[in-house]
Amino acid sequence: MQITQEMSLMEKLHILTDAAKYDVACTSSGVDRAGNGKSMGNCLAPGICHTFSADGRCVSLLKILFTNECIFNCSYCLNSCENDVKRASFTPEEICTLTMEFYRRNYIEGLFLSSGILVSPDYTMDLIYQTLYQLRHIHHFNGYIHVKSIPGADPVLVEQTGYLADRMSINLELPTSDSLRKLAPYKSRKTILKPMRQIQNGIQANKNELMIRKAPRFVPAGQSTQMIIGATPESDFQVMSVAEGLYQNFGLKRVFYSAFVNVNHNSNLPMLPGGPPLLREHRLYQADWLLRYYHFQVSELLSEDRPDFNIFLDPKCDWAIRHLECFPVEINQADYRTLLRVPGIGYKSAGRIVQARKHGTLTFSDLKKIGVVLKRALYFITCNGRMMYPTKLDEDYICRNLMGDRTLIPREIRESGYRQLSLFDEGMVSPEAILS
Amino acid sequence: MHILICENSIDGIFSGIYHAYEKRYGHKNTQLSTIEGVDTYQLFCEYEDITTDAAISQKVANTLISRLGTEVYSELCQAISAYESPNERKKHINKAEAVYKTVVLGLSIPNGSHILEYLGNPYVNRVFQLSLSTFNEAHHMLGFLRFSELENGILFSRIHPKNYILPLLADHFTDRLPQENFIIYDEPRKIAAVHKSGSRYMLAEVPQADENFINQFSDKEQEYRTLWLTFFHSIAIEARKNPKLQSQNLPKRFWQDTIELSGNS
Ligand code: SF4
Repeated sequence: MQITQEMSLMEKLHILTDAAKYDVACTSSGVDRAGNGKSMGNCLAPGICHTFSADGRCVSLLKILFTNECIFNCSYCLNSCENDVKRASFTPEEICTLTMEFYRRNYIEGLFLSSGILVSPDYTMDLIYQTLYQLRHIHHFNGYIHVKSIPGADPVLVEQTGYLADRMSINLELPTSDSLRKLAPYKSRKTILKPMRQIQNGIQANKNELMIRKAPRFVPAGQSTQMIIGATPESDFQVMSVAEGLYQNFGLKRVFYSAFVNVNHNSNLPMLPGGPPLLREHRLYQADWLLRYYHFQVSELLSEDRPDFNIFLDPKCDWAIRHLECFPVEINQADYRTLLRVPGIGYKSAGRIVQARKHGTLTFSDLKKIGVVLKRALYFITCNGRMMYPTKLDEDYICRNLMGDRTLIPREIRESGYRQLSLFDEGMVSPEAILS
Repeated sequence: MHILICENSIDGIFSGIYHAYEKRYGHKNTQLSTIEGVDTYQLFCEYEDITTDAAISQKVANTLISRLGTEVYSELCQAISAYESPNERKKHINKAEAVYKTVVLGLSIPNGSHILEYLGNPYVNRVFQLSLSTFNEAHHMLGFLRFSELENGILFSRIHPKNYILPLLADHFTDRLPQENFIIYDEPRKIAAVHKSGSRYMLAEVPQADENFINQFSDKEQEYRTLWLTFFHSIAIEARKNPKLQSQNLPKRFWQDTIELSGNS
């Protein structure tokens, strides 16, 4: 299209940011890299948030598409070639200038570059490679770069790009290959999983090489992926099982879940009158944490018979209530992994408990200072053999009390008025009981 | 009880600790307090003012580093850099006292580098809380701080943090932007970190900032600000709009130091 030629940088930035915003990943985490005294930039492993947009999400990277032109027509995507939207493309130089000037003003932590597919996957991947090459070698940018690999692109291009990026991702898009076939006919499990495996192997080979000699680093912050939730009928159990498989078999650093927004008003896709399924997305993230930091397995949290998360209780509380035989846990004795399973004890406070009790017996007030959320933990723990209050180790009793704790449903969702409740509330306690 | 009153700074509190040992009243009979921490004088207490002395403070620092390790040392400094509101001062152990008694405990146990694990101890716990508060704000500010390019190419940033985090920020940006000339100005404390391309940064007291100088932006400055605003507004998803979550994640007191939320760009 010709219009792109005369379009101002501002207009392009507007269009290509708008088109990139549904991608949820925006973290700059996973790599520590000190400055080198010459180039601009360094990286901190925990990542840094630079601002929060009106939807409350962290903005860390300049998240843009190279182009929103696309030869394909995935039905959930705004850039589908069947859509009548304004199209634009950056040049590599424009992206470099924006990144450098934003970075030195401390607006951003780096670049997150993704793209629609212009001409062919190889053609697009090459443009992305060119951009990263200029940024690293002409502008000497040493900050964070997250790049999306284009499904179907030449493995050689993917590999070369991996030496310039900190993190790479290929979106799984949908949890099952069936759904993928229906909604994204040009993508397949194969074109997605093949490069994912390639990058995984590349990272491993690079690690081995780095042990014996100095070498350029390949995707040092690891890979991530994203799944759209709520566009297709998969259960939480299916979604989490896929995530678990990706962590275990593909060594992924993160799996992101994106509550579906029906941007195309496509009649093949659910309309979700309550808006995007935010509470469901939230529960999936909580469960994801349990997999990554708390040594839980999906089979402990969900099953064929209980395929979806409880919307009133977070997955950990829900698990604990169904496993009262494991409680109460004695704070001054239980090992780290057992502490991790107690509702109200996060992995940081579990670590602090293990440290602090070496130097003296802990009491409930110590726990509070350490950061334990006592109003949640108190049903499940003893300190020196005593419970905090006389409570019953009884499923209904604890459940009722925990639900009285309004913080169990995240504030942002509580305050959006439980619009999405109707989607799940079958077989649940009546919402009034909790809202009052 | 002997109460030693010291200045609210690293040198001040370290000088206080030195004298608390030197005077030999016994640690049980000695308390340290910052000047701000003394609002009513108590009966049967003897108050002494301690003069801040950089050389003495350096001696204390050396002892702490060699006996407790650099990690504990920097946590202590971080705790001292924390701001205590009048309300907090009423409810909690005074900062100087918490640091002092933590040091006493740390030097009395065989493995002093583990002192900060004694979270059951109220003094250590207070040090931990204070240090965490400084660390958290510094980490936030690493992201929320903004530079503006002045006419002469210098990057200038004005900040209003609660805690004294300027050195932590200056360290970070010296590493990140080694070839830039930049200034970070802590406006409430009237202290600036000044970094010249290719060198270390320096701290300078700036009682009166030259408003003309710091408001002379380069030609390109407005253009990039506008581009940033365009990006900032385009990245939000309308269907998920949530101002409460936004201000929960980015507390309003930081807004004035950003470009996109300060309301004056
Ligand atoms: S290939 Fe990517 S950009 Fe193109 S329509 Fe599908 S999801 Fe959208």
